[in-house]
Amino acid sequence: MRHLFREKDVPFELYEVDIISASDEELQKVSDEAGLALNVDEMHRIQTYFRSKGRNPTDVELQSLGQAWSEHCCYKSSKVFLKEYLTSIESEDVIDRGDAGVVEFDEDHAYAIRIESHNHPSAVEPYGGAATGIGGIIRDVLCMGAQPIALIDPLHFGPLDFRYRDLPKGVKHPRYLMGGVVAGIRDYGNRLGIPTVSGAVLFDEGYIGNCIINVGCVGIAKKKNLARNRVKTENDVFILVGGRTGRDGIHGVTFASVELTEDMEEEWRGGAVQLGDPILKEPLIHACLEAAERGLLNGMKDLGGGGLSCVVGEMALAGGFGAEVNLEKVPLKEEGLASWEIWVSESQERMMLAVDPKNVDEVLHIFKRYDVLATPVGNVIKDKIVRVKYEGEVVLELDLDFLTAGPEYCRPFVTEFESMKRKETPLDEPEDYAEAILGVLASQNVSSKEWVIRQYDHEIRASTILKPLQGRIGLACHGDAVVMKPLEHSNRSLAVTTATTPQYTAIDPYLGGASAMDEMCRNLVAVGGRPHSFSNCLSFGNPEKPDRLGAFRETVRGIGEIASELGLPVPSGNVSFYNETSFAPVKPTPVILGIGIVEDFMKCVTADFKKEGSLIYIIGETKKEMGGSEYYRLRGGFSPAVPSVDVNSLKSSIGAILSVIDDGLVRACHDVSHGGLAVAISEMCLGGDIGANVDLSAINDLRFDYKLFSESNTRWLLEVDPAAEKNLLSKLSGLEVRKIGEVSGNSLSFSNNGKKTELSLRDVRKAWTNTLYELMGGMA
Amino acid sequence: MKVEDVRVCILYIEGTNCEEESFWCFKRLGARPEKVHLKQLIGMDVHEDEKRNLLDYDVVMIPGGFSSGDYVRAGAILGARVKSSLESELVKFGKEGRPIFGVCNGFQVLVEIGLLPSFDGFMSAVPQAVLATNDSARFECRPSLLKHENSGSCVFTRKLPKGKVIVCPVAHAEGKFGLPTSEEEEMLRKMEELDMIVFRYVDPEGDYAGYFWNPNGSLDNIAGICNSEGNVFGMMPHPERVFYGYQHPDWTREEPREEGDGRVIFESVLDYVKKKF
Repeated sequence: MRHLFREKDVPFELYEVDIISASDEELQKVSDEAGLALNVDEMHRIQTYFRSKGRNPTDVELQSLGQAWSEHCCYKSSKVFLKEYLTSIESEDVIDRGDAGVVEFDEDHAYAIRIESHNHPSAVEPYGGAATGIGGIIRDVLCMGAQPIALIDPLHFGPLDFRYRDLPKGVKHPRYLMGGVVAGIRDYGNRLGIPTVSGAVLFDEGYIGNCIINVGCVGIAKKKNLARNRVKTENDVFILVGGRTGRDGIHGVTFASVELTEDMEEEWRGGAVQLGDPILKEPLIHACLEAAERGLLNGMKDLGGGGLSCVVGEMALAGGFGAEVNLEKVPLKEEGLASWEIWVSESQERMMLAVDPKNVDEVLHIFKRYDVLATPVGNVIKDKIVRVKYEGEVVLELDLDFLTAGPEYCRPFVTEFESMKRKETPLDEPEDYAEAILGVLASQNVSSKEWVIRQYDHEIRASTILKPLQGRIGLACHGDAVVMKPLEHSNRSLAVTTATTPQYTAIDPYLGGASAMDEMCRNLVAVGGRPHSFSNCLSFGNPEKPDRLGAFRETVRGIGEIASELGLPVPSGNVSFYNETSFAPVKPTPVILGIGIVEDFMKCVTADFKKEGSLIYIIGETKKEMGGSEYYRLRGGFSPAVPSVDVNSLKSSIGAILSVIDDGLVRACHDVSHGGLAVAISEMCLGGDIGANVDLSAINDLRFDYKLFSESNTRWLLEVDPAAEKNLLSKLSGLEVRKIGEVSGNSLSFSNNGKKTELSLRDVRKAWTNTLYELMGGMA
Repeated sequence: MKVEDVRVCILYIEGTNCEEESFWCFKRLGARPEKVHLKQLIGMDVHEDEKRNLLDYDVVMIPGGFSSGDYVRAGAILGARVKSSLESELVKFGKEGRPIFGVCNGFQVLVEIGLLPSFDGFMSAVPQAVLATNDSARFECRPSLLKHENSGSCVFTRKLPKGKVIVCPVAHAEGKFGLPTSEEEEMLRKMEELDMIVFRYVDPEGDYAGYFWNPNGSLDNIAGICNSEGNVFGMMPHPERVFYGYQHPDWTREEPREEGDGRVIFESVLDYVKKKF
C-alpha cells in the first residue's frame, strides 16, 4: 500500500494526508495509523468533503475530526435514545443545558449538576485516572459560572477477594484499583477544598476487567453570574487559562471509545491518561469565578475530551461565529509537540474564556494575581469556520458545520434478554437466620463504607448539614442522602444522593433503570428532600453489539418513563460505551445523581434510631422480588424477578412521606434497598447504638427470608414517637403501612410467625463495620 | 475597641481552602474579616488598591487547606514564604499581643515558621515541633472530642471553662503532634508549666484514649497549643466547621441549638481584642 502521509514543506512537522484518491482499505489504514477510531463510512464523508474543497487534509484536520466525531464527544450511538426518553423531558426550572445542567434553586440562585465516567483511564492508572476525573467534572460545573460545592463518586470494582491467579492477563487487581481510585479522589478533592459527600461502592465479577468510575459535581451560582459555554460577539478574544499543554491525554476520547485490550498499559505509557494538578486547579477556580462575578467574561468552557479542538469549535458554533487560533501561543509543558498534538491534547486544569477586548487586561491581571497562566490564543471571526495557524501557516481550516456535525446512528439492537427467561433457582430457607443476616451485613456490597468515606473531607466548606455517616458520634451508619446548605442567609438546602442498580439491569434492563430512579427518589425523600432534577451516567458495553445496545435502550427507557411521570428533568448526563474487554462486558451500569430541594434543613431527619420506645413502621409493599438481591448473590441463587416500580405508588408515597417529615412526625427514616429490610433496620440500630424488636408477621404471608432480604422498591422505614402515631397514620392513609416493632434494648430481634432470631448489637456492628478494613488494610 | 472595628486578616495562597468558612465565623460575630492573598501583603503582581499591610489588622488567621499542595511537607512552603517576606511585620504584630491563629494547615504553618511552640523567644529559628503523618497513614475526616486544658493563658479559649469537652471535626493526614525525642519530656513539662497546652483529644467519657478518638496518634493526646504569651494559637481540628449547632454531626439526635461548639473560640479572641486595644 502506498504511503499516504506526506510531510509538508514548512519549518515544523506537518503532514498532508492523501485521502482524496484513497481506496476504502487505505482510508481504514489512515484511521488506524493516526489513531482516529473512525470507520470507513465516516472516512468516506471526510473524503467527500475534501474532494469538494479540491485539496487533501492535514494531519491536524484529520485529528480534529477524529476527536469531534468520537463516540465520547458526539454520542453517535446513544443520541437517538437519549432524545426519545430523557432530554425531551421539559421543566421550567431548567435554566441551561451546557457542560453541566443548570437548574433554579431560588429566585436569585441556581445549582449546576453533572456526572460522568472516567472508566478507561482509571482501569489502567487508577490514581491519575480518578483524580483527573474529578478535575474534569469540576471544570464542567465551574464553566457554568458556578462554585463547586459537592463531589459525588460512585465506584464499581471486581470483588476485593478475587483470586490473583484467576485474573485475566493485563488486568489489575480490584484491590489495587480501589486503593488507587480512592486515593486519587481523596488527594484531588481534599486539596481542592470541595467536599466529597456521596457515592456508592459496588463489587461484582463483571467489573474485573473494566471498573466503572463515576465522578459527579454539584455547584451553586447567583443567576446573574451564570456563564454560557459560548462566544458572544464578533470581537471576543479567546484566553486560554490554567495549565500548560503537554503530551498527556493525547487521544483520551478515542481511547474511551474503543474496548480495552491487554495492551492498554501501553496506551497509558503513550499518554492517554492525563496528569492532574489540584494546586493549580484551586486558584484557577477562584480566578474564573472572580472574573465571572465581575462581569468580565462573555463565555467560558472547560477543556476536556478533545482539548482545544473541541472547545474552540463548540464555543464558536454556539455563539453563531467562527474562530481563529494561533497554536504557537499556547504555553507548553515541553518543546517539540507537533501542531496536531497541541490541538488535541487533553492536558488538565485548562479553561477557555471568551472575553471582550476591553476586559482582556483586567482578566489577565486577575489570573496573574492568583499565579495562574492566562494567554490570549485567538479570536472570534465572522465566518463559521475554524482556522488554526502555527507560526503563520494555516494548518487547519474547516467549516464548523462539518466539523461539529458528527454522525448519528440508529444501530441495531435487541430487547429480548436471555436472563429474563431463565427460571428461578429454588433456595431452601436458611437454618440459621442470625448467620444469614450477619452474612449479608458483612458482604462487600452491604458493609460499611467508612474506610472510603473518612478518607474524603466531606465537610470542608462547612455546609454539609447532613453528613454521609449519620448517628451517634463515632458510631454512625450510612445515611440515605447528604444535605448541603449552600447559602449563608437561607435555610433552603440541597439533598444529594446517588443510585446505581447494575444488579437489576443485568437481568432486566428496563426495571433496572426504573429501580435506579426509585432508589434515587427514596433516598432524597428519606431525609426530607423533594426530588427536583437528576443527572445520569450510563456505562455500557460495545454499542455495535445489538444486545449491549438493547440493554442500553431499555435502561434509558426505564429511567425516562419514571422521570417523565414524576416530571423530573435531566439537564445533563453522560454515556460511556465500550466498557468491555475480551474477558466480559460490564454489567449495564446506570448511575443516577439525584438532587432534592429541602425548604428548611432544620426539618431534615437522619437514618439513625433516636429513642427507646419509638415505634417502627414500614411503608410500601414487600414482594418476593429476589432477582439481583444481595441475599441471592451470596447464596448463589437466581431469579428473573427483579424489583418492579409502580410509579403511581411511588408518586403518592413521595408526597405523603415528605408531608409527615415536614410536620415533624418522624424521628428517623431510612429507605430499604441493598440487602433488604434486615440491613436497613440493622443500620438504623447501629447509627443510634440502640436495639429493636421487630415482628414481620403482619406484613404478609411470604417466607421469613424473603421478607428480610427482598429488595422491593418504594419502601421506607420510619421511627415514630408513639404520641405521634395517630396523626402519622391519618396522613399516610392510602399507602401500605405496617407497624413492625419498636426501638429498645441493646439487641436486634426479628420474628415471623413463631420463628425468631436475635443478634447482639455488638455482633451486628462487628459484621457490618470490619469488612472493608480487613480487605483494604488499616485500623477500624 | 468595638467589634465592628476589629480587622481580621484571613491569609491564603494557592491550596488554602478553608478561608470562606473561616471568614464567615468572624463576619457573623460582627468583626471585619478580609480574605487576603499573601501577594497582597508582599505587594507583588497586584494593583495599588489591592495592596495590604499586615500591621493594619488586629487578628491574623491562617486557615486550613493544602497550601502549595502540602508538597515538601505540610505547611513548609507557606511557612517559608511568610518567614522570608513578612518576618519583621509578623514579629512586631505578635509581640504587641495581637492574636495569630492557625487551624489545621494553619497550625502546621505556625509550627514551620517557628511561632509554635517557640520555647526561646517569640519566633524560633527552626521548627521545634512536628505535625507528622497520622498513625493510620491515611487522611481522616471524623468528629473528635476536645477537652479544654488551658488555665487562662490562651486568648482564644478564655470564654471556655477549663475541663469542658467540645465537639470539633478533624480532617487531615498530617496531624500527629510530636516533639524531638531527646527533649520530649522536658518540653512537655515546660508546656504544662507555661500553660501552653490548650486542647487534648478525649473519648465520650472525657478520658484520654487511643485511636480513633485520638485520630492521629498525637503525643500526649495534644490537639492544640498556644505560645507562652497565649496570643499565638494552633489546633488541628476545625472550629470553623462547628460554628452552628446544626453543623455538629449528630445534631438531629437532640433539640436543635443555635450555638456550635467552635463558636466560643472566635468569640473569645474578639472579646480579647476588644478589651485590649
